[in-house]
Amino acid sequence: MATVHGLHGRLRVPAGRRGAVVILAAALAGLLAAPPLPAATKNSCVDCHRELEPEMARPIAEFGRSIHAARGLECTACHGGDPTDEDITAMDPDKGFKGRPSRDEIAALCASCHADAAYMKRFNPKPYVFSIAEWKTSVHCKLESEGDKKVATCTGCHGVHDIRSPDDPTSRVYHRNVPETCAACHNPEYMKGRPGKADQYEQYVGSVHGIALLEKGDLSAPACNDCHGNHGAAPPGVRNVAHVCGTCHGRVAELFGASRMKAAMDEAGMPGCVTCHGNHDIQPPSDDWISTAEDGACGDCHEPGSTADRATQSIIAAFRDLDRSIVTTDSLLQRAEVLGMATEYGRGMLREASDQVITARATLHSFDEETITAVAADGQGLVDRARDAAEGALRDWRNRRVGMGVSVVVILLLIALLLAKIRSMERPATEH
Amino acid sequence: MLVRLRDWIWERLGLEPIVAIAGHKEVPLHRHTFWYYWGGMTLFLFGVQVATGILLLLYYRPSADEAYESVQFIMTQVSFGWLIRGIHSWSANLMVGAAMVHMFSAFMMKAYRRPREATWLSGMVLLALTLGFGFSGYLLPWNELAFFATKVGTDIAGALPGIGHFMLVFLRGGEQITGGTLTRFFGFHVAVLPAITTVLLGLHLYLVQRHGMSVPPSVEDTGGPRGAMKFVPGFLLRDAVGWLAALAVLALLAALFPWELGQKADPYAPAPAGIRPEWYFGWMFQTLRMLPAHVLFLEGELVGILGIGLAGLLWMVAPFLDSPDGRGGRARLWTTFGWLAIVYIIVFTLLMYRGGGGH
Repeated sequence: MATVHGLHGRLRVPAGRRGAVVILAAALAGLLAAPPLPAATKNSCVDCHRELEPEMARPIAEFGRSIHAARGLECTACHGGDPTDEDITAMDPDKGFKGRPSRDEIAALCASCHADAAYMKRFNPKPYVFSIAEWKTSVHCKLESEGDKKVATCTGCHGVHDIRSPDDPTSRVYHRNVPETCAACHNPEYMKGRPGKADQYEQYVGSVHGIALLEKGDLSAPACNDCHGNHGAAPPGVRNVAHVCGTCHGRVAELFGASRMKAAMDEAGMPGCVTCHGNHDIQPPSDDWISTAEDGACGDCHEPGSTADRATQSIIAAFRDLDRSIVTTDSLLQRAEVLGMATEYGRGMLREASDQVITARATLHSFDEETITAVAADGQGLVDRARDAAEGALRDWRNRRVGMGVSVVVILLLIALLLAKIRSMERPATEH
Repeated sequence: MLVRLRDWIWERLGLEPIVAIAGHKEVPLHRHTFWYYWGGMTLFLFGVQVATGILLLLYYRPSADEAYESVQFIMTQVSFGWLIRGIHSWSANLMVGAAMVHMFSAFMMKAYRRPREATWLSGMVLLALTLGFGFSGYLLPWNELAFFATKVGTDIAGALPGIGHFMLVFLRGGEQITGGTLTRFFGFHVAVLPAITTVLLGLHLYLVQRHGMSVPPSVEDTGGPRGAMKFVPGFLLRDAVGWLAALAVLALLAALFPWELGQKADPYAPAPAGIRPEWYFGWMFQTLRMLPAHVLFLEGELVGILGIGLAGLLWMVAPFLDSPDGRGGRARLWTTFGWLAIVYIIVFTLLMYRGGGGH
């Protein structure tokens, strides 16, 4: 066996075919030295397959729409052979023809280009470089190496001939399409006979993340691969959950990481964030969760009447007070605005207070009553300033009216005096 | 003490000739005397503009980064800033209104007849300067409406044949409306226009004093004025009554209808719906909106601009085209032209506020 360096990286070939492979490699090396070229004018792969039955002709049409065709690659890049030969001998193994790669060859075949940073750089100065090592950490690769023929390999997610760029909204791996691509396998039908449920997609679709990504089109919302990885896809371990969530929810993860709750959960073997929020079906958090009652998130571990229960009540009271005062201050500001008064300062303060409400709820993850109520109190201070501004504006509005009334009365008085003066001046003239 | 102070000033300034002129000045009394007050009213409102404008200058900062914020500061943080800005904005509108009443009353009473042609011409230029004050001042708060209204206004100037592009670049300080345009408009508003206005106002007042008040031909033909009123103190005191009433109206408007500041201008934002100029440009704006895209072989907008320009020129040279004594068929024709102009302006201004007829 020998190793040939070329388009497909390092492929192991039988000794008897070394000569042919060396020629092919030399030809390909010459091809790669130049920038990618558009499809050759003569291409027997295309010419012949186009005339065959639909099953055999479809790859031609599909490949034409792929990122590989757009980058100037041809059928030979994966299948070998000689496209300048118009006869069936174009598919002679002596001409490097490999035919359809077997399932377990696919990852290595793709890696021959995608793991070659120097090669990929010609298409993109900052290329994504595929890592076989990363792939080997995935559950997919592990199962495949154990002989599982149903698990996904590169083509399972990316497609075969019609592979598109991940930035192309029609790609199977475009961020918004990832959940559906994963669900093609991770569904109860396909996963029948395997351990665990396969209802992740149904749960995800109704979750806060799924609604944000799939319904609202918010591309910053996570898809499956943001938590599980893509080429190294695997469920996060119990101790890693907080890190996974923390990649987006940084502040919350920081607070939770420093809290007594984290240590207690680690000790009890509880999976951090997931314990209260769930995983695939994460719902928008609610203040009702902060309770030891049946529908609260604390009740599984804390008894009603306990210190924790009293803390939840004090925290909830602080949150609700803050919410209520924001609503009443907002209506005060609206009244002032309807009367034509400038309320920018008050509005600014109220916006900051609303931000502080979010911060206060995030601070809940410190699981420290004093810290949480202190943040809520800061928010209350901002609301107080906004309310002062609103009341000041309403007071100003009343004062302006009083001032206007007084001014008009004074002016009318002056007018009356002037008219009286004019009359007194002109009376003698009229009498004369 | 006061007498000694007055004597001291008297001796140094030598105001006797002015006092003598004021003492002799008389205002004819007849059924149209009311219209004589509108020149003084315009002058009073101009004074209010100067006073409030100077106060606004203490805080206003003429740059795209700071203009909006500085007006916001004036409105919310400066003591009585809201009142000063409110009065400045309302008074500007009342001043344009008063100037237009003054112009139309002079036109309809044929006050432009010989030897008052120069008085008329200087008044027309003063009105144009007043509109220039309005146009340049409108942009200064650098808010969304002002930004796009200025864009529309300067676009119209840019459509002028021959000098259009030069005018557009001259007004904007470039191809687009930028912070440079704001600085330029500020310069026009507080330096260029006031300087020219001061000179022309002096000339206009001198000419009014030189020729005295014009008596309409219709009054002359029906026995002349029933008498005369001394300018000082009778007419001046009545002027003061009008000025005080205007001040009361300004206080009411500023307190009951505060002048909005709106949103800060964003040159990259799309134009908001309902962009329209101040009411005094409304009839011109509506005329241009209602014209078809093409009139014969010319662009509709160009026809509109040329038409308005021609009408304005005709209006300006009326003293030279109307009959010299303001009587006869030609004079009646000009009076009809005046009424038509008034009706046209009112109707088209109302149409603009109704928002119809746009192309």
